[in-house]
This record gives sequence, C-alpha cells and structure tokens, in this order.
Amino acid sequence: METEKPRRMSAPGTTEPTGAIARARAGDAEAWGELYREYAPAIFRFCRRAMPTREDAEDATMEIFMKLKGKLSQYDTTRSFSAWLYKVAANHCWDILRRRRIRQDKETEDVENLPLEHPEPTQLEKLIEQRSGEEVRRALEKMGARARMALVMRYYSDMTYDEIADALGVRRAFVGVVLLRARHELRQALEGNAAIAAGGAS
Amino acid sequence: MSEPGDDKVKHLDEMTCLLYLERQLDHARGLEISAHTQECESCRTLLRALERETRLLTRAMLEDTEPLPSRLAQFHEAARRSMQWIWGLAFGMAATGVYALYTGYIQPWQQQLEQAGFSGTNLLGLLIFQSPFWKGWQSMVTLLEILALATLGGLGFMFLRRRLRRGSALALVFAGLCAAMLIPAQASATELRKGDRVTIAKDEVIHSDLYVAGGRIRVDGTVEGDLVVAGGDVEVAGHVLGDMLSASGSVRVPGQVDGSIRGYAGNITIKGQVGRNVMTFGGDVNIDRDATIGGSITSFSGRASFDGHVQRDVLAMGGQVNIGGNIGGSAKIRADELNIDSSAQIAGPVNYQGNKPPQVSEQAKLASPVRFEKVKHGPDYSNLHYYIWQVIWLAAFILYGLVLFSLMPKFAQEAVHYAEQYGAAAGLGVLVLFGVPIAACIACITVVGLFIGISTLFVWYASLYFAQVIIGTVVGQWLMGRTSEFWPFIGRMAVGVIIVRLCTTIPHVGGWVKFVVILWGIGAISLAIFRRFQPAAATAQMPPSAQPLPPNTTIGGPLPA
Repeated sequence: METEKPRRMSAPGTTEPTGAIARARAGDAEAWGELYREYAPAIFRFCRRAMPTREDAEDATMEIFMKLKGKLSQYDTTRSFSAWLYKVAANHCWDILRRRRIRQDKETEDVENLPLEHPEPTQLEKLIEQRSGEEVRRALEKMGARARMALVMRYYSDMTYDEIADALGVRRAFVGVVLLRARHELRQALEGNAAIAAGGAS
Repeated sequence: MSEPGDDKVKHLDEMTCLLYLERQLDHARGLEISAHTQECESCRTLLRALERETRLLTRAMLEDTEPLPSRLAQFHEAARRSMQWIWGLAFGMAATGVYALYTGYIQPWQQQLEQAGFSGTNLLGLLIFQSPFWKGWQSMVTLLEILALATLGGLGFMFLRRRLRRGSALALVFAGLCAAMLIPAQASATELRKGDRVTIAKDEVIHSDLYVAGGRIRVDGTVEGDLVVAGGDVEVAGHVLGDMLSASGSVRVPGQVDGSIRGYAGNITIKGQVGRNVMTFGGDVNIDRDATIGGSITSFSGRASFDGHVQRDVLAMGGQVNIGGNIGGSAKIRADELNIDSSAQIAGPVNYQGNKPPQVSEQAKLASPVRFEKVKHGPDYSNLHYYIWQVIWLAAFILYGLVLFSLMPKFAQEAVHYAEQYGAAAGLGVLVLFGVPIAACIACITVVGLFIGISTLFVWYASLYFAQVIIGTVVGQWLMGRTSEFWPFIGRMAVGVIIVRLCTTIPHVGGWVKFVVILWGIGAISLAIFRRFQPAAATAQMPPSAQPLPPNTTIGGPLPA
C-alpha cells in the first residue's frame, strides 16, 4: 500500500480554509470543528517534535487550540493561516519550555561563542547518509529545548528567520548561529545513539 | 574564502555555508560563494552534506509516525459538550432569574392591573397590541406570545445566517416581521384627514377607522371604526363606535366613545360616556362629574381628578389625586397626596402609597378605611431582602454580560476599547441617552414608525444594562490588565461589574455613579456601532521584499521527499 508523502501544512497546493475561518470567527462551532480536524494533526506533530514528551505534546496541542479560539479575531486574513497557526504554536511551546528553563543558560553561552570552522565534509556526509528518520527523531528527543525548538520551527514549520528570532527572543543575526549550534548538537546525539547501538551489538 | 592565486586555499566556514543554503546572504555574497564552490571540491562537498542534512531533518520531522491520540481526536467534541453543559447551566440560571423577577416584580404589578380591571392582559399588551393600530392582533395579548414571535424571528435568523450574509439575513427577518405586523393594519379600511383645522360635522358618518392630524380637531359626527387623532387641540363631541387613541396637547371628550380611550396628552378631560376602559398619560387628567366610564381607569399624570362614575377599578399614579365621584371597584393610588371629597363613593378597598397621609372627607362613602402606606425613599439597608436582591441582580448582570460577550465577542471588545476614549464616549453618551428615546417616541406617533420606535426603545433600554457591563469590563481591565482571550475577558468583566455594582449602592453617591457609568458605557457602545458603519480604509498591500536567490541550491523551496 502506498503511503502519502510527508508534506507541510503550508505546502503549495494546500488551500486556505477562508470560509471556515470566517464562520469560526463569527462563533460557528461547526466551522471551528472543521478547523480543528484539519489542523490538529499537524499542530500535534509540531508539538510532538518540539516538546520533550508525548504527554507534553498532547497538553500543548489542546492548550494551543483553546488559545486560538480567543486569538482568531486577531488573525490577519491577508496572510497564511497555517503560518500564523505555527507561530502561535511555536510561541506557546517555547513559553512552556522557557518556564521550565531547560538548559537555557548553557545554550545562550554556547551560541555566543560558536567558533567558525570548516568541518571535515566527508565525515559529515557519512554521518548523514547512514541515518534514518527514526534515528533523527530519537536524537531530537535528547536535544536541548532551544536547539530542538529552532530546528522544528525551521525545518518542520518552514518559519522565517524573523519569525524564529521573534519566537525565541534572540536577535535575527543569531538565528543562523542557533540553527548551526542545534545541528552540531543533533550530530552529537546521532553519534551518541550510534555508539550506544554499537555497544549494544558488541 | 578562497582567493585565486593563493598558495593555501581558504575554505568556507560552516556558518557561511548554512546561511548560503538557507538563502540568508545578500546577492553579491551569494555569487561569491557560488563561484568559490565551483572551484573548491571540499566546500562543495560540505554544502552538499549540509543540504542532505536539511533534507534528512525535514523528512524525519514530516514523517507521520504517530496518529492523533484519541484524547485529542475527541477533544473538540468534548469541548463542545462541556460548552453545552455551561450553556445549560447559564440558561438554567437565567430561567431562575426570570422567575425571581416575575414573582418579585411583574406578578404583583399584574395583580394590581387585574384588580384594576385589566384581567387576562398586561400593560405591554394594552399599550401595543390592543390599540387601534393592532385591531387584527387582538388575540396576541400575552407576553408569552410576544416572546414566541421573538423566538421565531431568532430561529429564522439562525436558520438564514448559514445561508445568507449576516446583514441580509437580519434585514430579511426584520422585513418579514414588519410586513407581518403591517398587513392587518393595512387590511382594515381607513380614512385620513389632515389640516390646520379639521372638523367632522355633526351629520357626517365615517364608516371606517378615522385618522386625523391637525392643529385643531373637532369630531361632532359619527365614526363607526376607531378614531386616531394627533393634534394640538382635540374635541370629540360626536360618537365613536370603536376605540379612541390620541396624542395631543389638549383633549376634551364630551361625546360618546363605545370602546376604550387611550390618550397621551398634556391635558385630558372626559365629560361624556366611555364604554370600556380609559388609560391616560398626561399632565392633567379630569374625569368630569358627568362622565361615565364603563370599565376601569389607569392614569399616569401630574394631577388627576376622578369626579365621574367609574364602574370598575381605578389605578392612578401621579403627584396629586382627587376622588370626588363614584367608583364601582377598588382604588389603588400611588401619589404625593390623595384627597377624597365628600361626594366620593368607593365600593372596593382603597390602597394608597404616598408621601402625605390621605385627606378623607367624613361624608365620603367608603367600603373600608383607606389603607395608607408611606413611601420609603431609597433602599432599606437593614433589610436582608435588599442584599439578596443585590446579589440576584449582580448575578443577572454577569450572566447578561456573559451571554452578550459570547454572542458578540468582537463587538464587546471594541466597545470596551472605545470606552477608553473618554471624551468621545461621554459626549456621544449624552446624545444617545437623551436623544434616542425622544426620537423613538416621535417615531411611535406615526403608524409606520411605531414598530421601529418601540424596537428602538427596547434596544435602548437593554443597552442601559449593557453599558454597565462594558464599564465593568473596563474597570476589570484596569485592575487585572488587558486581555483578548475569552474567559480571562469574562473574568475581568465579572470583577469589574461587582465593583461597579458596589459603587452604585453607596448612599447618596450611588445614583450619580450609576448615571455616569450608563452615560459613559452607552457612549462607548454607540461609538463602537458608529465606527462599524464607517467605511474602512483600504489596507495597503506591501509587496514582498525581493530577496536575491543564490544559484546552485534547492534549499528554501519545497523539498522532494
């Protein structure tokens, strides 16, 4: 059986549910239900990638949709609904994570002192080639909150550098540094996973 | 970065490569990187590795490995059910409040009116649906039926709202209701007379309803239908077989009216015979000694004299009430002073609420002594009942706010926002608070404007309460900060309404606080409505900023899976 290719909510060809949004704004519960059914899976997946546990992701998804009911009137209809939705979700998840202060201080320090290097390209290629999506997801779970959040915002939600800077509360010029630092952390986690796997096998 | 001709090649750092792939470098820098990677194998490999890493990351994140948990799949339905439960509770509370209001206020009034001869009907029904305008609606006299009509209209609106735009649905429902109400009035035959001086001669017979408007109106002839008069000076010396409705400066009725008289006038004098009831609103009301009223009298006036013969009850409210005639039923009087002359005969009990004790002549023939109750001014703070009612009213206000905020969340937020434009809100508040009821009353004089006038009065009256809710929310936001979310907004409204209601109960000052709050709030509501009807300025669409696209990259656009 052929499985559907993964796609973003905001991918080209995805139509905006303008009618449902307008009706939901007017208080139509059915329209709200339509929006929920359409977008809840994607937002849950976003939270699942951004939050450390499945329970956190479920709670965050529900909280985001409860928050959206009140915020829907603020949505600018000339812009992409899914992009706005991800922005709300990102802000909410980051608020939760920031309150927990997971590795925040250490990360800030690391970001400021990232050395400019030219890594060995073939080693990096080798590391990437051998990894599966499942391994990457496991590695993401081991990462710090800010690094994971940055990767999810950029590579799952396709958020711009400005939006990421706004959500994480950093200067725009540092977003690239945050993303690169996050990639380094991911590579370390992938290597750690591989080492554990190798140790288990031996 | 590499420099052609250098012995040692300087490679691109990883940060630059990443920013290049993510299209974050300017065009010139992008071209430099592109040129360098065509010459440098190592940097080209690094770029390729980073691009693969991006693809791996994206694919890993987008792969749908977990279905939506059942807890989340059922969340929306559960939320709906919980909201239904809340609505059930809210309507339960509303029903309790309505019942308490009915038993506390409406029922005693109804009993008073019934005792005054208006059994089986109510004040609203008398005012609106039993006037000559509504002859075809005689059966529609109970408040329940009015509510049923309103509910039907509401259901119609809800039904159409899904299919039509909100404004057009509303217009359709209102147009339908107006048409339904106008059809019976148009169906009956009418004759219209107008002029500075209008006279219906003694030998003239009008075989239909007669509508007369003029400066001086004299009806000496016979009107077989209803008589509706609006003028400066009106005299009805002839015979009206139907009802008479008058809105005039001065009205004299020395003739005969077989139906009821309902008059809105500065001065009303009845000298002839009235077959049914009399309801008068005026500065001065005189029921002459020769007058005979077949039913009851309800009078709201500055000074009233009942010297004629009234077969049933008298209900009078006013400054001064004099009774010198014969009353076949009871008398209920609420006035500053009551005088009962020696010629008076009252068959039923006399209940009098007033400031001064009644002056009763010893020669007056009364079935029982006058029951006098001195009017107490202001609330009775020592009575527990007062506090219970304050709590009930407070709950009713919060419930009212909750319902309105749920129905019109955006409008409520706008009204709260405009309440903070103090000058504009207060200015408009003065205009609307006093201007709208005057305009509505003027509209009521005309046949077509009656429905609009009464509807406007209802909306205006409801907005007096909504104004207090709006200002309560403003106060709540002052204390707890601004919010745009629904339930925190409701929380601020509840806290603010409690504070406002407490302030309005302060002795001596409370009344003024209430007046200012209503003035301010009604201004904010009007401002919100006014701004809604203003044409919105077209929002300028900003063109997207042109970003130079670096060559030789696929990053940033849609990625192949």
